[in-house]
Amino acid sequence: MSQNHDRARVKPSDTPGRATAQDGLVLLDGPNGVAVTMTAEAAELTAESLRLAAAQARGSPHARPEEG
Amino acid sequence: MPPKPATLSIPTQHAGSARDVMLNRSRALSEAHRAILDGAVSERRHLGAGEVAVRQGQPVRSSTLLVEGYMTRHVDAVDGRRHLVSVHVPGDFVDLHAYPLGHLDHEVGALTDACVAVIPHTTLERILADHPALVRQLWFLTLLDAAMHRQWIYRASSLSALERVAHFLCEMHARLLAIGRCEPGRFTLPMTQLDIGEVCSLTNVHVSRVLRQLREERLCTMRSTQVEILDLRGLALRGRFDPTYLYLDDTLRNVAIGRTP
Repeated sequence: MSQNHDRARVKPSDTPGRATAQDGLVLLDGPNGVAVTMTAEAAELTAESLRLAAAQARGSPHARPEEG
Repeated sequence: MPPKPATLSIPTQHAGSARDVMLNRSRALSEAHRAILDGAVSERRHLGAGEVAVRQGQPVRSSTLLVEGYMTRHVDAVDGRRHLVSVHVPGDFVDLHAYPLGHLDHEVGALTDACVAVIPHTTLERILADHPALVRQLWFLTLLDAAMHRQWIYRASSLSALERVAHFLCEMHARLLAIGRCEPGRFTLPMTQLDIGEVCSLTNVHVSRVLRQLREERLCTMRSTQVEILDLRGLALRGRFDPTYLYLDDTLRNVAIGRTP
């Protein structure tokens, strides 16, 4: 068993998810195993929530520089 | 052209029901053991598509061996959604684990019209007493179920939408190859996009998009219930599919990922 491998898997992702539209819905793929389908309204609210949380995270005293 | 399997051993039709059990696996079932299982069958039943064979929470006094057709285990969540937690092909015991458990924590239903062979638990008790080697094989079957469940958890929690569908298609292809119910690269999957979505935790819209991607990448196509794998090795790589968890024999393990034996 590789503990280093396990640690690598639980690191915060620095890869963004990718959203696409299909059949009037929004599909969000990634990062990692994320694969969800949302209504346009839910997607907009999620985007808003993500922006707000990202801003808070950047301003947090616990914010850490990107790990190499 | 996909490679032909070299030495898949498909026995001739048995009068009973055990002909597909543990074919082309790392642990083979002997002809004597198949005969014992055949002799243990008390009745054969036909199930209509959608019919529930075993209800969640109900006492179970017999075990069901799938002979023809496809069946599923599913969990009905409190929010009303159905979650498919396994898909079964001929040769699978769909509820052998109910023998020690007494009842199931999920339902078992027929995905298509199906024929099953019923083995009473009282008969299993006699096998338990008289044929310990066969009991080990039946134990292996339930452990194989557990191995597949582990892979299904991995698939749904760690893989992307496209990887999930590619992985599931590779698994079904391998399992059908093992029982001689398809030729390499082509198989029947009587599941809707909604069904595949329930397996892969995706909406049918997501499944539809993924199937289009797989087609555009010339990995596989799915028309109605017919799946044609255009590039088996590529599909296995795309789905991060490693068939080790299916405990196939060496020949089939290679065939299942597009390696020429």
